[in-house]
Amino acid sequence: MRATTVAGQLVGAFLLAPLLPGLVQQLKARFQGRRGPSPLQPYRELRRLWGKSAIAVEGTGPVYRFAPAAACAAVAVALLLVPIAAETPELAFGHDALALAGILALSRFALAAAAWDTRNGFALQGVARDLTLSVAVDVTLVLGLATAALVAGSTDLRAMIAGTAGSGPWTSPALVLGTAGFLLVVIAETGRQPVDNPDTHLELTMIHEGALLEVGGRDLALLHWLTAARHWLVLVLTAQVFLPHPRDPWAQVLALPFVLVALCLGLALVETLVAKMRILLVPRLLGVGAAVALLGIISWLVENT
Amino acid sequence: MALLAIGGVGAAVPRTFLSGLWLQAAGGAALGAGGAIAFLGGESAGSSFSSVLTPRVGVDPLSGFFLAMLGLVAAPVLVYATAYLRPDPRGRAAGALLSPFVLALVAVFCARDAVTFLLGWELMTLIPAAIILAWSSGTTGRRVVFVYLAVTHLGGTGVWVALLLLASHGALGGPSLDPGSGLAVAVTLAALVGFGTKAGAIPLHAWLPRAHPLAPAPVSALMSGVMVKVGLYGLVRVLLEWIGPARPWLGALVIAVGAVSAVAGIVYALFQRGFKRLLAFSTIDNVGIALLGLGACLLFRAHGEQGWAAIALAAALLHALNHAAVKALLFLGAGSLERAAGTVDLDALGGLLRRMPRTGAAVLVGCAAIAGLPPFSVFASEWLAAQSLVHVPGRTGPVAGIVGAVALAALAATAAVALFCFVKVAGLALLGTPKRAASAAATEVAPAMWSATAVLATLSVVLGLAPGPIFERLARLMPGAPELAVGLGVDLPGSGGLRTPVLAGVLVVLFGVIATLRRSPTAASSPTWACGQELAPQLHWTGAGFTKSLRLVLEAVLRPRREITVIEQGGVVRSASYTGRVPQLVDEWLYRPTTAAALSLAAVARRLQSGRLGTYVAYLVWLLLVSLGAVKLGVIG
Repeated sequence: MRATTVAGQLVGAFLLAPLLPGLVQQLKARFQGRRGPSPLQPYRELRRLWGKSAIAVEGTGPVYRFAPAAACAAVAVALLLVPIAAETPELAFGHDALALAGILALSRFALAAAAWDTRNGFALQGVARDLTLSVAVDVTLVLGLATAALVAGSTDLRAMIAGTAGSGPWTSPALVLGTAGFLLVVIAETGRQPVDNPDTHLELTMIHEGALLEVGGRDLALLHWLTAARHWLVLVLTAQVFLPHPRDPWAQVLALPFVLVALCLGLALVETLVAKMRILLVPRLLGVGAAVALLGIISWLVENT
Repeated sequence: MALLAIGGVGAAVPRTFLSGLWLQAAGGAALGAGGAIAFLGGESAGSSFSSVLTPRVGVDPLSGFFLAMLGLVAAPVLVYATAYLRPDPRGRAAGALLSPFVLALVAVFCARDAVTFLLGWELMTLIPAAIILAWSSGTTGRRVVFVYLAVTHLGGTGVWVALLLLASHGALGGPSLDPGSGLAVAVTLAALVGFGTKAGAIPLHAWLPRAHPLAPAPVSALMSGVMVKVGLYGLVRVLLEWIGPARPWLGALVIAVGAVSAVAGIVYALFQRGFKRLLAFSTIDNVGIALLGLGACLLFRAHGEQGWAAIALAAALLHALNHAAVKALLFLGAGSLERAAGTVDLDALGGLLRRMPRTGAAVLVGCAAIAGLPPFSVFASEWLAAQSLVHVPGRTGPVAGIVGAVALAALAATAAVALFCFVKVAGLALLGTPKRAASAAATEVAPAMWSATAVLATLSVVLGLAPGPIFERLARLMPGAPELAVGLGVDLPGSGGLRTPVLAGVLVVLFGVIATLRRSPTAASSPTWACGQELAPQLHWTGAGFTKSLRLVLEAVLRPRREITVIEQGGVVRSASYTGRVPQLVDEWLYRPTTAAALSLAAVARRLQSGRLGTYVAYLVWLLLVSLGAVKLGVIG
């Protein structure tokens, strides 16, 4: 059992993650009446980019050169941190939910520093917007995780998966409100509408794309993989902590692929139906998410004290 | 201590200037070692606290911890000073005053009675004022010193009131005060005002962002690294040792002050242009985070959760230590950049990582560390503070729980803005290209200067890799707390554990693997792409541009001002100027009306002082008559 969950976590996080954005693209195209690219398109992109030569932007130093690798290393650690089932053997550096926020911050720092090193105004604009939104995203993320941790009694992600399993926790409003807050984090972290438009090629509207402008070849491949890995992280967290999931360990693992596909369907649907928001209004939307998650904590307190 | 004293005298004399400073550095190192022994050994030496007003000194583990912090910061700072200060009158004055400053801090930490404590307290406040006056000529320096002394002394009366009340009721060394009594409430509030002023807690912070930028770099490092922590030391002594377990409102109050200080401190830091002023605001933020830990500790203690109270206290103190090292590093780094490029204006620096690789790398580590990134020190202590807060709702009452949850949100926002703020610092100062000729001509500073920053950067890494042993010791400072074993990292109960050494190891290995994989056979050199334009200097981003989106989001709260003047002549724009600033709301809404009211009161009082002899004689006659009348009626006498 334990070997299966670890294998599933590693294979899923490191190999299957690019399927998720591919699937969203495909489903979105279908919703819009197009045929769309195959869900495997991200893999083709990665292969193509891996073969191309890198770019050395004039006047840059080691910070620019190693930032994509550092950002990817940080996200890889985050991938190891998030288990896919409660029955996962203890990893050498723990499975703490709050540590996740700090580790993701490292990748943000690396990419922002790289943008400064290139002096590209559009990259800096994208990074500045990302950092602005990250304030609201971080608050909502931490409050959402805190709600689930409160229900489960621990911030250990394995305990959180176990503590929110079954139908019991869903009879109280706390987890429902926490989930509502976290779903907004999912949209922001995957960089999808109404927060960001992943298909944009217009510099003035870019957020996450902005950081990619000065990067090419293998570095760009790394950053594409990073986006896919972020999809995996937040969608697995949603499926196994924030949405109803079975208590039985095998069922937990086996249900995951179906829930992930359903979540991709949901993202595609939101992308199709909702237009991009004005950037300065996004923190307000996320602020509502934080307030909802806070209400979740308050409702738990009212119920349990 | 003798080394420090001799070194202080030595630094004043031109011929022995350098050896004096080196002696001081050795004294600082010895002091740190002594403090560390007292802290790690868990033993007390010398006398214990006494309410009698005769001078007594002694050391216990809590004092030892703060002495170790002082030594850890003071030794590299004094080594740095050997190259930073020059043996001219200004430098000699600063060098000579460094030693009494450190000794005053030692006196505060080692005092075991109210009189010695207050003596050390006043010296610690006055000596930096003297250094700033000696260092910065002109009216700005004098004005700043006036504000510094006014705010810290007005606030500092709280410390006098609190300590003398405690001593007069025998609470120093005796049984702790009953927290329910009115006396304990008075002492608590006085201590919060007094120590809060020194710690720079908002709204009592007005002196801090003014005084720090003007002091020479080594003094700023000591002030920001250690002196503001004296406020924390005092609060721990008063609230946890001399007053019994208080009601939950106290913990909620401390958390509220901490949350406001943390969020407002870092948000104002983000919009600063001056590197040292930015660092001063970031100090307010970090003091706020330590106060969040202390407040959580008080809440847990009020609800009888001794184990978690110990964890929260240890988180607050560990954060104070981590911040001391990182902030000293950044202030010294700012001093080095100023020495090399001639300014601390972030918009005028740039590209210094390449020109000053050693200092630049240390400052980059400092920026990453204070932004709370793994594997550096602040990440661990912020994680611990977050763990303390996230367990408040589950282990205390409903109201305390809501306070804890809101504080957790504030901490998350603080961490995110801190990242934003220090990416800006690293980007503007170290990366890209220089914006001024002076920055372009900058070269690496003297070995004593860069090695001091390198030592502090190493310290930030080491404290981040193995916070466990120190954390366990700190948790033991809480009386009645169960033993805690967290290993080399911080493996807390009720959490997923944070094994920092393994985390750092995996991070480095993965980085190595990915960095090796990415090395592609060919790399095409190309200019920066700017929509096909040439990247002219006018297109370079400033700090104000980078932070604009957050400024707009927070517009309703911050009320930023901006003015654009365009001069046109015959339909052609001749020149355009832009000024923008984010005003200090506390200054505008609290201090300015208060000063205005005080000044108008003084104007009224001045009418009494006519300067004519006859008037004063008339006052005396009236006074005599009133007193006689009062005696006759039996009111007095």
